[in-house]
Amino acid sequence: MKTRILGFVALFAVIGAAINGLFVVPADLNQGDAQRVMYVHVASAWLAYASFGVTAIAGLVYLIRRDVRLDALALAGAEVGVMFTAFAIWGGMMWGRPVWGVYWQWEDPRLTTTALLLALYVGYLLLRRLTDDPARRAGRAAVVGLIAAVDIPIVHFSVIWWRGLHQGPTIGDPSKILNPSAPLQFVLALLAMLAAFTLVWVYLLIRRYQLARLEWQLEDEARRGRVAAARQVAVPSGVEEPAG
Amino acid sequence: MPQTTIYVAPRLAGTLGTIPPAVATVELARLFGRSAALAGISLTVEMGRTVALLGPNGAGKTTLLRILATAIRPSYGSLSIDGIDALADPELVRGRAVYLSHATAHYDDLTAEENPRFAATMFGWGAAEGLPVVREALATVDLEAVAAQRVRTFSAGMRKRLALARILVARPSLLLLDEPHASLDGEGMALVDRLIGLWKDAGVTIVVASHQAERVASLADATVRLESGLVAEVGGAGVSTAPVGASPRPRAAVAMVDR
Amino acid sequence: MNALRRDLSVAIAIARKDALSELRGRQAAGSTIFFAAIVLLLFGFALGPDSRRLAEAAPGLLWLAIVFGGLLTMARLHQLEADDGAFEQLALYPVDRRAIYAGKALAGAAAMLVLGGLLLPVVAILYAIPVGAAWLPLLAAVVLGAIGFAAIGTAYAGLTVRMRAREVMLPLLMLPIVAPLLLAAVKATVAALGGDPLGELGSWLQLLVAFDVIMLVVGAGTYGFLLED
Repeated sequence: MKTRILGFVALFAVIGAAINGLFVVPADLNQGDAQRVMYVHVASAWLAYASFGVTAIAGLVYLIRRDVRLDALALAGAEVGVMFTAFAIWGGMMWGRPVWGVYWQWEDPRLTTTALLLALYVGYLLLRRLTDDPARRAGRAAVVGLIAAVDIPIVHFSVIWWRGLHQGPTIGDPSKILNPSAPLQFVLALLAMLAAFTLVWVYLLIRRYQLARLEWQLEDEARRGRVAAARQVAVPSGVEEPAG
Repeated sequence: MPQTTIYVAPRLAGTLGTIPPAVATVELARLFGRSAALAGISLTVEMGRTVALLGPNGAGKTTLLRILATAIRPSYGSLSIDGIDALADPELVRGRAVYLSHATAHYDDLTAEENPRFAATMFGWGAAEGLPVVREALATVDLEAVAAQRVRTFSAGMRKRLALARILVARPSLLLLDEPHASLDGEGMALVDRLIGLWKDAGVTIVVASHQAERVASLADATVRLESGLVAEVGGAGVSTAPVGASPRPRAAVAMVDR
Repeated sequence: MNALRRDLSVAIAIARKDALSELRGRQAAGSTIFFAAIVLLLFGFALGPDSRRLAEAAPGLLWLAIVFGGLLTMARLHQLEADDGAFEQLALYPVDRRAIYAGKALAGAAAMLVLGGLLLPVVAILYAIPVGAAWLPLLAAVVLGAIGFAAIGTAYAGLTVRMRAREVMLPLLMLPIVAPLLLAAVKATVAALGGDPLGELGSWLQLLVAFDVIMLVVGAGTYGFLLED
């Protein structure tokens, strides 16, 4: 019930922030209306990274405690994360086309890092899909999630240094919106969208987590059922079964 | 007959001064995909006993041995080896429970001497003290003559003998043998029987899975027959299907009953 | 200290075993190096024939060839365990998992070093790169790159060796992870070959060291979980 309320609140928040970002806040002088995409692009990107953090940490604690709920959380983080990552990349491309003239710009460190993030997530999810045994799946996924998370900061620094000696794109620097000297209205619009997206993120995480728990329970029941069925087949010869 | 020294793990004190069972399982089950290889095995084996594990193909003998060796984890159920909870502390069980699998697990590009020398190092022998142990083991299994040959050139029988040599450099308290007679000729099989006798005399607990029912039954104190992943029949001394006091509380191997 | 010495002797025994297997199973190791060389040749066909363009691209192509050859190498080092069921036996010895990881990573790094070292002259010839002058920083880059690749390769090869679709899973998992390694190694190579005009060689080598250390720590910490199955 509480989650449902959260869902509605999140929905309204997003609508409100979108109206604000699209109609209330003025357009940027240099980039025009295209700059409005930044509100969702930046918000998506931050939450994509946050999701990754959830997956990595949940996996790490899973390895220590072997609590299956942590694996469910890690899976939720990864799937929600893929969504936000794809959205962030798409937003980046939609912004890039009118501002840079191209969909992809190798010199933008955030774009390349986020693309790599997507590749890492997809690998993680594929790994899970290819492993049948639940215990093995959770363990392997936890290791991969952890290694990927540890890699991201390295990627971040390497692509920033990589770009360092090239002139950044002169028109349309995406980091402009994060500059402290940006107009207050823009900053507020971004924060509003970020808050709204965060609510959506939490809502999706909770729902996916609940779903993952249910999936695990179903899987577990099915497995126990198979064991029980195997017992029925061969029981006969009057062997004493221990109680319980 | 070449001299054969048997090395054994030091005894562990059981709880409250009693000797724990060598093996105690409760409702051990294991799924592979959709099929249940083991559907609930509860077994207790007294320390020092030799148990013949019998049953048709697919009965679950190999799966049971692999779980006892801590090579794989059970899907459900609990297991203790020498009183140690094997699911919580598998690293304490390793080295005590030694496994001879159906696959011979050799490095093909290494020689007949290098393979067990590697195993000796892994089992804790120092470089110098391990060498005579390895040489003696090779002599016991009659592979001295080919010690410098690479395993890639070996026949199935020779590979099996070399695997036996590896077991000889271990210091087990529990031996898990999966079809030890397989691939061997008459002489080879007699060697296995002799070795089992030596281990038995040294107090090692042995669980032997084999198709050669009569052969192992004559060596064993007890027999356990598996069928379709369950214990179908138990006979002899030192083995039972009822849990004994020293076994741990049953709990799911993959943690989690939903709270 | 006794435990440390034991772990060390375990790691060395494993590295030695792998090295012996690599040297004696000469066809496999040699074939991989040959494959990487052919890849370099093919890059020439794909990007040539303008030698200036090829010379500019050479550092990138070199490291791509090392990465592709490296994937095969790391897979092979774990395959030799899987062939006769030795991997399961390896996991059953009473030894610290980190020592097993250390041994395999050491063997992996050595194999990668040989691969990289042998590809340097191939690149020098095919793309007319003055490798000789800058051999020391180039060697540093190759050594650091080899260690980093082996650090993560050992972990992921151990993870995928018993999986379905392992031939694709290992590259799929490894390539995104080694992107920063690739980037830094190429940049370091470019800087080294050009006499380091911007003074960035040190930074790139430092990044490689950071990558190596982090991956070694994480690899050693998680390898044990991958052996349990």
